[in-house]
Amino acid sequence: MDWLGMAVRPRMPRPELKAAVLARAYAAGRRRAWWPLAAAAALVVALAAAGYAQWRVGVLRGERDRLAARAAALRDTLDFVRRPGSTVYHFPVVTAGKAGSITIFTDSQSRRWLVTCNGLTPNTPGEVYQIWFVTARGVRSALVMPMPDATPRIAAIGVPDAAVTGVMMTVEPDSGSTEPHGTVVFEQAL
Amino acid sequence: MTLARRLSQEEERRLLARLRAGDETALGELYDQVAPWILGLAYRILRDDDAAEEVVGDVFEHVWTRIGQHDPRRGPLIPWVLAIARHRALDLLRRQHRWERRAALAHPDPDDDGWVDPADGEASVPGWPVHEAVRAAVAALPDEQREVVRLAYFGGLSHSEIAAHTGTPLGTVKTRMRLAQRRLAEALQSLRDWVT
Repeated sequence: MDWLGMAVRPRMPRPELKAAVLARAYAAGRRRAWWPLAAAAALVVALAAAGYAQWRVGVLRGERDRLAARAAALRDTLDFVRRPGSTVYHFPVVTAGKAGSITIFTDSQSRRWLVTCNGLTPNTPGEVYQIWFVTARGVRSALVMPMPDATPRIAAIGVPDAAVTGVMMTVEPDSGSTEPHGTVVFEQAL
Repeated sequence: MTLARRLSQEEERRLLARLRAGDETALGELYDQVAPWILGLAYRILRDDDAAEEVVGDVFEHVWTRIGQHDPRRGPLIPWVLAIARHRALDLLRRQHRWERRAALAHPDPDDDGWVDPADGEASVPGWPVHEAVRAAVAALPDEQREVVRLAYFGGLSHSEIAAHTGTPLGTVKTRMRLAQRRLAEALQSLRDWVT
């Protein structure tokens, strides 16, 4: 049946029809030739958009996590202040002739301290500030607090089981010490 | 009068290769070869000059943009093009809601039966020898088989529609169609050898 179309008598096309038909076909061919390029371009754009969106989501998630951690830290700080078992100690200190202060919020319920340091002279290279618990069993390291600049520092620390009777701060070598050897910044009984 | 020779196998292969390579002049050569037949076929189905020319445009656009769909293992190029033309013409007929007209068109064309001498210049159309062979094969069919072939091929009627149109049992229509296809295949065996 494939050849049945040629059973029909031919009809000679108008002479001008050929140019019109071929021009139409070529134009369609050119349009069609652009499709793969257009599709590829669209795919690239879509992939780029998807990649950017994924990257952006990652950035926003990181930002969200960072803000959530900060909010939790602030909530924790507030808890130190407002809990019934909280006690505040404020110690004026002088470092290298500069007046500063150490503030300690103690929480007897959670057995944690919140320590803030303001106005301390920045450490010279190779030195750090170190805070110590004074207990009936001796002196124990509480916190190594490097201060390379004058920015106020704040830190939460756990309190040892032994009864803490006092607190002290010294200047120690870079990684801190197991026992206080350096210059005493302050020492105070609680 | 110049008698046109038909496209040889090798020429058709080369033409196909050039079409696949996007050679625009090849499409022009194909047009010269088959446009009169496409226009004749489309006009035979649609009976409308403008619509038939529209079909010619559709066919060449399809061929040019989808030549990759032609599988030489399943048949030569020219019948593939003619099949596209027939389908486009029948689609156009259906889109134009010409059902009543379609039934009317299903009546025999005066040229369908018997031999008609070529009009001036007709025999110089490329492919005329194939036309003669096909026409002779169709003319050799018994009337009832030729009628079924004509309604199916040019009218686009299904077997059921042919049965309803001719008042013949469906099984008889199918048998006639099968016999006609077998006879045509035998009669056009030489054409098959040429084209495959």
